[in-house]
Amino acid sequence: MIRMRTLEISVGAFVLAGILGLVFLAFRVSGVVVGDTSGNYVLKAKFDDVAGLRVRSKVSLAGVTIGRVAKIGVDSETAEAIVTMEVSDDVDNLSVDTGARIQTEGFLGGRYISLVPGGEDQLLTDGDTITNTQGALVLENLIGDVITRLGSK
Amino acid sequence: MSYVDGLQDAPLGAIGPECSVRERWYSCAALNHPGHRTQVTDNLIEIEELRFSRGDRVIFDGLDLVVPRGRITALMGPSGTGKTTLLRIIGGQIRPDSGRVIVDGLDVPTLSRKELFELRKNMGMLFQSSALFTDVSVFENVAFPLRVHTNLPDEMIRDLVLMKLNAVGLRGARDLMPSQLSGGMARRVALARTMALDPKFIMYDEPFTGQDPIAMGVLVSLIRGLNESLAMTSLVVSHDIHETASIADQMYIISDGRVIGEGTPKVLREHPSTMVRQFMLGSPDGPVPFHYPADNFLDDVLGDA
Amino acid sequence: MLRYLRLLGQWALDWIAALGRASLVWFWSLAGLPRRGDMTLLIKQIYQIGVLSLIIIVLSAFSIGAVLALQGYTQLARVGAQESVGLGVALVLLRELGPVVTGLLFAGRAGSAVTAEIGLMKATDQLSSMEMMGVDPLHRIVAPRLWAGMICMPLLTLIFNAVAIWGSGLIGVGWLGVDPGGFWGGMQDGVEMWDDVGKGMLKSVVFAMVISWIAVFQGYDSTPTAEGISVATTKTVVYSSIAVLALDFILTLVMYGEFK
Repeated sequence: MIRMRTLEISVGAFVLAGILGLVFLAFRVSGVVVGDTSGNYVLKAKFDDVAGLRVRSKVSLAGVTIGRVAKIGVDSETAEAIVTMEVSDDVDNLSVDTGARIQTEGFLGGRYISLVPGGEDQLLTDGDTITNTQGALVLENLIGDVITRLGSK
Repeated sequence: MSYVDGLQDAPLGAIGPECSVRERWYSCAALNHPGHRTQVTDNLIEIEELRFSRGDRVIFDGLDLVVPRGRITALMGPSGTGKTTLLRIIGGQIRPDSGRVIVDGLDVPTLSRKELFELRKNMGMLFQSSALFTDVSVFENVAFPLRVHTNLPDEMIRDLVLMKLNAVGLRGARDLMPSQLSGGMARRVALARTMALDPKFIMYDEPFTGQDPIAMGVLVSLIRGLNESLAMTSLVVSHDIHETASIADQMYIISDGRVIGEGTPKVLREHPSTMVRQFMLGSPDGPVPFHYPADNFLDDVLGDA
Repeated sequence: MLRYLRLLGQWALDWIAALGRASLVWFWSLAGLPRRGDMTLLIKQIYQIGVLSLIIIVLSAFSIGAVLALQGYTQLARVGAQESVGLGVALVLLRELGPVVTGLLFAGRAGSAVTAEIGLMKATDQLSSMEMMGVDPLHRIVAPRLWAGMICMPLLTLIFNAVAIWGSGLIGVGWLGVDPGGFWGGMQDGVEMWDDVGKGMLKSVVFAMVISWIAVFQGYDSTPTAEGISVATTKTVVYSSIAVLALDFILTLVMYGEFK
């Protein structure tokens, strides 16, 4: 028969272990960042092909993650994909001719949007649309192109 | 819901110890003023026309009995007649199909959860298996009802528990665990627990079964002693004719869902019914047959050859 | 032929009646305000159900994390993607294996213990005598075990996930030589707090409620004989396991909907 005090201590330790587990999962595993108190602003971009891009894919500038894809929709009139991105307020000096390219991480990795800085003075603000876009490289199309070119030689 | 006070007006001669309870009831009823209830104040429990079936089996078929206050009443009968079920119906754990079960003026099957809770504070039940809580000590077992039903401080609870354990002679065993007790000792602890709240009424389910003679003697004297010294009412369900007859003020023999004999042990031994006599004397064959229904013996044995 | 149909119908009706009884037990156990002394009962049960399950959870977690790292590494190394092993293992654990394996282990260890305990209390008339003393066994015996189960299992799942991922890290980085930056960095990049950790925990909470409910009801409803208790504990483990796996499938469909 274990004494009540020992019991209470072990139950407390158990709950503490659970909380520590949660902390570990939050910070070390899923990379939640604390202290990043800046908000986000919205940017849009239109692509002719967003194959493989998912909601919550990252948006990066010079290889650094500065935002996430919030929504992927379709513009039925122009048959283009409209990607809505949330970009960190810290990055507020993107010019209006910034380029947005959909790239692949590694060879088999997921897609992400890479922003390439432009040279104009005017800057992008909340709700603006990026027009300088390049769609995803679809592997099959690329191979198809190469075969066609080889074939036509 | 008060009973008539007509009993006080009854001449003493009309009610005597040689009368059965039924006779007492009728004689008192004859003296009552018209318009009052014809119920006697000295019955703690009254059961009328009790009917209860489990599935297809009829367990009680119009059972009537009364348990007078301050007395030890015994319920006996062949195995399987539902004596334990009757105790559960009295305690409100099972609802009968029909009939009235009056305990201390309250109709038990109609009580709400809360009312039942209150009633059970005044009622105790000693189970055949003693049903002690195996994960706590003897002391804690006896203290349990006190802790649950009262707000008494720990020192008072300690005193009360020790007093109850002393009454059953097990004060020194207070720190043992139930698994360390013998069967007889466990039953005495269970008795102390049942008595913790000083109930007016205790039901004993087969208290003497499987006990050695000494333990049996202890229990018998405890039941008798407590009943007298604390002016309690006791209802004992048992198979043991000898032991039960030595303490019971009156007995009921139940068979086939009804009462087939009632009265003092002496009266029952000379009862006109052969079934009652078979039970009281313990004869192996009689109305309750020795042989389970089967075909002719010779036919059965020779038939296989 | 007709006889089998009748048996089937009978079995179905029995099952529905049992579900009804189980719902009543669940409702009456949780209804009613907590009383003085209830906290002590709860703490005692959290100890019995949670703390005593830690060893098996931690050992299993470490083993599973390590094995996943090993197997994952071998397969991913074929296409040169072995740095993703961290991410892969973490996702599998957080979304699926963590809640499910913890649920199965919990049902087997804690669930069957609770069923056996309550069943034995029923068989030895302890529940009955409690009732006769004016104490509601649903409130005193069943409710603490229900709450303890619902509290302990999510905590155990958290511990399972944490230990398993840490174990996979130990094997992957420490033994197989995966680049720690790639391992942990890739994991952090790909694992979402709500999408992966959160939804996995949601599964675990659902499993906890179902397993606790089944364990407690099977004990309370058991036939009060030795054989009855044995049947009841078996039922707890079997029903809980089936329920966990089936619910996992349904919840995965619902939560991670867009599969096509």
